[in-house]
Amino acid sequence: MSGVDPERLLTAAQCDELLRRVLSFARGGGQTMVRATSWWQGELRWGRNRVNLSSDRRDISLTIYRRIANGSLGIVVTNQLDDASLQFATAAAERKSRLDAEAGLGYGHFPKLPEYKPYTEGKIWSDATYDLTVEERAAAARSMIAPAEKKGLLSAGYLEVRGATMATLGDDFPELRSGPLAYWHMPFTRWTHAYCSTTVRDATGSGSGWAGLSSYDWNAIETAALGERALEKCLASRNPVAIEPGRYTVILEPQAVADLMEVLVPSLQQREPPEGGNPSPWRLGFDDALGLWRSKLGLKVVDERITIEHDPSDPRLGILMSPTELPGPVKWIENGVLTNLGHFFSTDIVKLEGRYRLRGPTGYRMSGGTTSIDEMIATTRRGLLVTRFSNIRLLDGESLLATGLTRDGLWLIENGKISKPVKNFRFTESPLFMLNSIDQLGESVRVFRPARGRGGSPTPAIVPPLKVRDFSFTSLVDAV
Amino acid sequence: MSISRRTLLKYGMQAGLLMAMPRPLLAQFGDGTPEALPPIQDPRVRALAERALEAARSAGASYSDVRLTHTRIREFHNPTVTSIADLEDMVVGVRVLVDGYWGFAASPVWSPDEMARLANEAVLHARISKQGTPREVDLASAPQVTGHWSMPVKIDPFEVSPFEIVDYLQSLRNFVIRWSDWGQGPNSCSFVVQEKAFANSEGSYCTQRTYRSEGNFVIQLQEKRRTVATGWLDALTPAGMGWELYKDQPLRELILKLMEEVKEHWKLPPKPVDVGRFPAVCDALTVSRMIDMTLGRATELDRALGYEANEGGTSYLNDPFNMIGKHEVGASQLTLRANRSEPGAVGTVQWDDEGVRPDEFTIVENGILRDFQTTRESAGWLNHARGNSLAHSHGCAHAPTALDAPLQHTPNLILEPGAEDLDFDSAIAGMESGVAIRGLNIDMDFQGLNGLGTTDRLYEIKNGKKVARIVGAGVLFRAPELWKGLRALGGRNSSRRYGTFAVKGAPAQRGYHSVTAPPAVFDQLTLIDVKRKA
Repeated sequence: MSGVDPERLLTAAQCDELLRRVLSFARGGGQTMVRATSWWQGELRWGRNRVNLSSDRRDISLTIYRRIANGSLGIVVTNQLDDASLQFATAAAERKSRLDAEAGLGYGHFPKLPEYKPYTEGKIWSDATYDLTVEERAAAARSMIAPAEKKGLLSAGYLEVRGATMATLGDDFPELRSGPLAYWHMPFTRWTHAYCSTTVRDATGSGSGWAGLSSYDWNAIETAALGERALEKCLASRNPVAIEPGRYTVILEPQAVADLMEVLVPSLQQREPPEGGNPSPWRLGFDDALGLWRSKLGLKVVDERITIEHDPSDPRLGILMSPTELPGPVKWIENGVLTNLGHFFSTDIVKLEGRYRLRGPTGYRMSGGTTSIDEMIATTRRGLLVTRFSNIRLLDGESLLATGLTRDGLWLIENGKISKPVKNFRFTESPLFMLNSIDQLGESVRVFRPARGRGGSPTPAIVPPLKVRDFSFTSLVDAV
Repeated sequence: MSISRRTLLKYGMQAGLLMAMPRPLLAQFGDGTPEALPPIQDPRVRALAERALEAARSAGASYSDVRLTHTRIREFHNPTVTSIADLEDMVVGVRVLVDGYWGFAASPVWSPDEMARLANEAVLHARISKQGTPREVDLASAPQVTGHWSMPVKIDPFEVSPFEIVDYLQSLRNFVIRWSDWGQGPNSCSFVVQEKAFANSEGSYCTQRTYRSEGNFVIQLQEKRRTVATGWLDALTPAGMGWELYKDQPLRELILKLMEEVKEHWKLPPKPVDVGRFPAVCDALTVSRMIDMTLGRATELDRALGYEANEGGTSYLNDPFNMIGKHEVGASQLTLRANRSEPGAVGTVQWDDEGVRPDEFTIVENGILRDFQTTRESAGWLNHARGNSLAHSHGCAHAPTALDAPLQHTPNLILEPGAEDLDFDSAIAGMESGVAIRGLNIDMDFQGLNGLGTTDRLYEIKNGKKVARIVGAGVLFRAPELWKGLRALGGRNSSRRYGTFAVKGAPAQRGYHSVTAPPAVFDQLTLIDVKRKA
């Protein structure tokens, strides 16, 4: 018995039946859309060298959107799929729609909707992830725990494999879709996600090392290697010494780069040209002559060695696409020049006229170079090697200035060699500054990016290690 | 969009219908035929729970527990009926212990067959986790409990017409925007009711109905239609209450007071940060966050022992067994108590998620560390270290729904007030030179040790008066020095209770609790220019 139940998720046929059943309950005109999602997660958590929870969870979520003529949008979410529950939920959504109805306005003017073909090329499903047995999960954890235990260290960690499915269906009158109900059917889509991370600490708590990786494909995660890395980092980070905060040349491991990029990447989803509202790093200013806001599109914003792009068919990335999204690669920043920004979609239907939507990067790949981390260290007279960042907070939306902490391994480099572990720092720095002060780049690799929420879709990233000048550390943090 | 009177009259009937929406859900009992979901106290729910326990026992579990939860959430985002979100779910989770290893399985199906499947699945997980390595779990003993408890709320928010709630929010908005220099920021609220049945293999069975209500209300001071300062109403933080969270508070008076404060704030001359160390007066909200993020986090026993190392981090109180009763964590006037029984607090329950009736306990007494927050398993660790069985769980096990396995979460915390009749204003009046801090937002490191706080409402004090608002400042502190530098705490009348939450574990889960604290005066806090790079 493997503990893997083949029927953990809704199948395409089940989704279809379910969606049609709900639509059949929505009578009397108006618009209806139903979204069915299901998810399953197999999880294993350990602390102090012992597994402290192994679990298997699943849930379903059915969202009913209903709008009668002249009415507003009624939304009800439930996880019970029997006829009575669904009839009741559909009626409830309709009652909510009716609450705000005004006589005589009709649906208003609706624009012609472009047609989109569903995107099916993406690599987001892996049987290796979905079929990973409870035994294999436990063995993977064991492969990370055992070496640490042997050395008298304490291993903690978490691994998770998940699968999810989603489908949406609406009524037969696409012409009536407008405003917030301007949706496109999401055909049955399924995806997997796997992630694993581990922290190894010594018994006195004077050293801590971390390693982690995520992918839609469990086979892409070498757990023993992760355990090894966390262990080595723990041993090498013991008894750190305090050094003065200040500006340092830093060698940022790919995870640290990705952690800081999380401040920048969401800003690429901003509407262009940015008007009023939230501060944006991509706003150039108000053009009095033209009477409009100008953005930095077409301008060089970071080092010319940097390209940030995504390709939904990239088997190393694996991103979930929605039907309206541009079904091909997008370059957000190309050779340092800002080339694309995301759109708001529901408000832009008329303008789009059959063009695809740019949602902004949900996953991305950043260009790298050929310098290895060892070479970066060897060419550094004095600097710091950073494992990862934690507790990051944005301080200024316009410059993307952020603050946060180094965590799980920080070392001083002197004369081309790692000389000693040092105590953690708080940094105050912007990813834009980082990307404009690059000395050297290494090979881009996949990093650890946990998916959002239960059954949520992944946000993968492929980033290089960077050697950056004058990175600003503002205070000492003596936590380990 | 507001609702016109006409619409109200026209659809008053439907509003009545909406009240009871979107029930009923179905469950399967006995022969597996779907039936309408009965109240949680129904004996058929217990029969379902027993089915899971029985299956776990026969599969070889030495201990098992099961939770069934039915949760309803209703959210209002800026007051229109068009923006009400209704969510409802029914889930069940079975947790088992086999040879010291925990297994857990959860799903959305309430039926006898599913109970058995989940129990077997959980046992399988626990067995496989063992892999030949011994692990000991000594659950601290807990008395068998039975019964039903319903959180006493005055007005069940799900019995109130959503129209009434929308109207009420709209009236608060109108109250603000009728002045030309005031605008309305976010104005939202949400209500949660959860029915939960808990059963364990030691014979306990209890059912509970709990509520959580909260609101977010922001006003904006405007000059030439541009917002120059904002004020957040701090009276609506999460609470174990119903609609009375809004109805029983003098909200209009509180809003007027907030307007005065924001105006006074804006009139003060702005001043850049003078980097350095200053005596400081902190308001109750700031102190509640400080105590929550430092000692509140650091005294979670699982965290202190490294079980949370790969997620939120560990604790600066890193040797719990030797620190209890000896370690000085703060000044002698620092006393921190915990409970899950305060009426109106958001962490309040009758039984925790292990069926334990939580007790009131003292975490810090007169500056000395007295205790850690525990569950049945972690109280067992204390017993193991001491070689006795005197420690019992403080009832801190919690999971947001039955879909999550219980973890130790922070209970309600109470920082004991000072003996003198001091409050925020009188503390400022008594200060010759220093700073006053309100509503500090705090980022703590992964051991609850070093903090950075930021707030717009930071003032320079000279001769007992606010003379300037300090712009762009950050407050740096280190927990041990912060609490050892505590000079005075506000009196009983100055204490305030705020609801908050903390995220913990993997997969991450949220636990809610209240923190009650008075304002405080500190010897010195470090001010930095938060946006200044090195």
